[in-house]
Amino acid sequence: MTRYGMLIDTTNCIGCFACRTACQRQNGQDPEVDYIRYEERETGTLPFVHHETVPLQCMHCEDAPCVHVCPTGASYIAEGGVVKVDESKCIGCRYCMAACPYQVRVHNKVSGAVEKCKFCHAWVYEHPETPSNTCVTACVTGCRIFGDLDDPNSELSRAIVEKNALPIAGDLTKAKIFYVR
Amino acid sequence: MTETTITRRSFLAASAGVAAVAATSGFVGFSAWEAEQAHAAGEKKAVHSLCNSCSSKCGFTAYVGEDGRFTEMVGDPDHPYCDGTLCARGYGYASIAWSEDRLTDPLKKNDQGKFEAISWDQALSEIAEKTNAIIASDGPQSLIMIQDPRPSGSFYTKRFMNALGSANVYTHGVSCNMSKNSGMTQAIGAADFTADVANANMIMFLGRSYADGIRPSSLHQLRDAKANGVHIVIVDPRQNASCLYADEWVPIKPGTDLALILAMAHVLIKDGKYDADYIANYTVGFEDWAQRVQEYTPEWAAEITGIPAETIERLANEMWEAAPKACIEQGWRAAFGCAHQNSGETARALCLFNTLLGCWGIEGGAYFPASASAGKLTDPKFAAPAAPAEKIIGQAEYPVSSGGMGVSTFALSTIPEGRVKGVFFYQSNCVAGYSNPAQLSEFVQAAELSVAIDVQMTETCQACQYVLPDTSYLERLEVPEFVGGKIPVVSLRDRVLEKIHPNTKPVDEIFTELANACGVGQYFQFTIDELADAQLQTIGLSLDELREKGTITFPEKALKYGLKTTWNTADKKVHFTSDACVAAGFPASPGWLEPLVMPGEGQFRLVGGKQAIHTHTQTANIEPLMAITKMYGLERIWMNADVAASMGIEDGDEVEVSSDTHTGRTRVKVTQRIEPTSIYLPSHYGCSVPEQRTAYNVGLRQMDFVPFHIEPGYGGTMSQETLVTVKKVGA
Repeated sequence: MTRYGMLIDTTNCIGCFACRTACQRQNGQDPEVDYIRYEERETGTLPFVHHETVPLQCMHCEDAPCVHVCPTGASYIAEGGVVKVDESKCIGCRYCMAACPYQVRVHNKVSGAVEKCKFCHAWVYEHPETPSNTCVTACVTGCRIFGDLDDPNSELSRAIVEKNALPIAGDLTKAKIFYVR
Repeated sequence: MTETTITRRSFLAASAGVAAVAATSGFVGFSAWEAEQAHAAGEKKAVHSLCNSCSSKCGFTAYVGEDGRFTEMVGDPDHPYCDGTLCARGYGYASIAWSEDRLTDPLKKNDQGKFEAISWDQALSEIAEKTNAIIASDGPQSLIMIQDPRPSGSFYTKRFMNALGSANVYTHGVSCNMSKNSGMTQAIGAADFTADVANANMIMFLGRSYADGIRPSSLHQLRDAKANGVHIVIVDPRQNASCLYADEWVPIKPGTDLALILAMAHVLIKDGKYDADYIANYTVGFEDWAQRVQEYTPEWAAEITGIPAETIERLANEMWEAAPKACIEQGWRAAFGCAHQNSGETARALCLFNTLLGCWGIEGGAYFPASASAGKLTDPKFAAPAAPAEKIIGQAEYPVSSGGMGVSTFALSTIPEGRVKGVFFYQSNCVAGYSNPAQLSEFVQAAELSVAIDVQMTETCQACQYVLPDTSYLERLEVPEFVGGKIPVVSLRDRVLEKIHPNTKPVDEIFTELANACGVGQYFQFTIDELADAQLQTIGLSLDELREKGTITFPEKALKYGLKTTWNTADKKVHFTSDACVAAGFPASPGWLEPLVMPGEGQFRLVGGKQAIHTHTQTANIEPLMAITKMYGLERIWMNADVAASMGIEDGDEVEVSSDTHTGRTRVKVTQRIEPTSIYLPSHYGCSVPEQRTAYNVGLRQMDFVPFHIEPGYGGTMSQETLVTVKKVGA
């Protein structure tokens, strides 16, 4: 089985928004529709200040609250473990937005439907040998790795072990994005 | 929710009929998106271009479908500036092509001060008539051109002005790296060098942040430096985004970097910690500087900079221990590109400090990028006009300024007295960014002729009589761009999209037609395709070949490390002392020079600086980028948290910021990431042009708070020589 996941190394994230604009550009989104949002944290006092940027997007949870609450089955888990939204079934009730612990779903005011990171789904299926995501290839500092969590030899699986990467909220939803912080 | 047709996708909009498409809003559904991805995959055409979101002009390949849809952009692995990745601005700025705020027709200001669309014929003939009248009455030196260099822009603006007989071609330098380049030239005969960041033992940055003013390859170097264990020190009033990679952030009072350098030189020279062989063999004037820095003790500098004396002493010694694989990084705009009265002298001192370390040319030290260029064009149809004998206006008044950039603000200031009568702008929002906007606008409006060529209405366009609509960078071929680096390249901005607005013209056509109208068309008897191909033929390439490859490397010209022992100065040596500086009123070797103003009780120095998503004021009207600004409140000023607490100001409060020239309101970000005497105002906001519907009235404009003034000798705009007070609104 293939189980797609991602690693984000926030110790190498400068918060430059390249992943967001590349995602919007390659996915043809309107400027306000963001699949990636950022949390910033500042600790310490001058000059010993620590500043961290954490990019957040759909975690493609195995135990996905959005899928559980969706009244029409529009949110579902597809091949490769990718959480998807079938917009033809979405009634725009936004239950999923309320249920998502990571607050990474966006309501498209124009379509009325809810959207979110697709793990560049179409591209990934067309390039099974070199699956990647726009945000991964666009990252200026290379802080993202995409791959198959079920392949212990994938770059992703090895990096998760080496860097001791963990989901942002522990095992809350069995998220498939792993963070180095 | 069953409707999933594609009706509007700003980036993907088909170039034909875009206005109609853009007028209706819509969305793309997931199934349509998937179908599109599958559909587009097999049919994409790769076209190479150069980004236009900042001056780096990174190479990228655009993938365009058969239907004219622009679906993907990928940075060139071989381009020395992007090194395979683009920044947020690159992806976002591409939307300028489809912006609803594009200029679409030539405009002329009427008696009521409103712009009216006119024909190209009318615009060209009226501009030519006025140009020739000015030349007849006052000579060609009363005409000036101000442009932000781009491949075709640089070629055509210079050729046009020289054809008219004027030497006055200016860049945006006064508000960028004028002081840095000019100061360095006095010391080492070169305007720039490159710190070999990733291979160093230690590197010190003064104000420059690769992670904020992004050139991707530089950022890669910084990231690799951290991985390689390089000791990275960042000296900045603000904990900038690059501090993620730093071992140490050293907060400094802005405008005092010169004192830090002088005190570090004091520490090293006092203890004989310098490369004596190098200094003996390849430099002149060391004794003068050694004597001068005797008084600049770390204790003295601590008072001025706010950096503890023991820190200054430690940093100097650490640099020496790391030498020769160590240097102070070269900077760009940041702390001493154009910021203070002492910026030129800071750059000069920086080069001299690096000279103590013996770092020039060696791996891990400071190198000079390898370069490549086209040969001379021999076909008479490309014959260039003679270079005017006169110097650029401002060179005499600012004798150590870089003539290649020119003191444009000074030239503009001579309009009211009648020395300059006509001004052209090409891709330059001079009025909003080069100095005080109200003053610059007044100068421009006093001219007998004023013409701006741009893609959208700007503050500069507003001040002019004529506005000519350029195509966007995605809609034209330009002159090949040669880029230096460890391996130099030539790279091409090709036509990615067909022209979107039929009445716009590319820069090459605009200047060719202006030249024809002015009667100097004999220097423009070729098309851009012919010119580009002819330039490439001089080095055994062709336009077709470069179109195919996008970026071509010259590995045979690759950089070779090695101690640099000969310099581009009169006597081939590094100059601790400079006669030109003495003539300009500076000491022979750099000593302490106070900033023009220093904050007193209740005052702050207003500092600017880039954010990763914007370039000066050029990108503020780009919807995907401004959406980020608005979502994350990036237009806010930064204030030190302890100071804010003492003033009863909380994060997010609305405050009033006042200087001698301007008062405005904005919100505040309260943070420990800035030293107490500074207020940081991001340099991108405060657009006052209603036609820029996305950018208009968002945030404050840094230059409104800065008086019109010019750095003596070096010509920089002194963008941080202003003091502000801040008070909470409603308190």
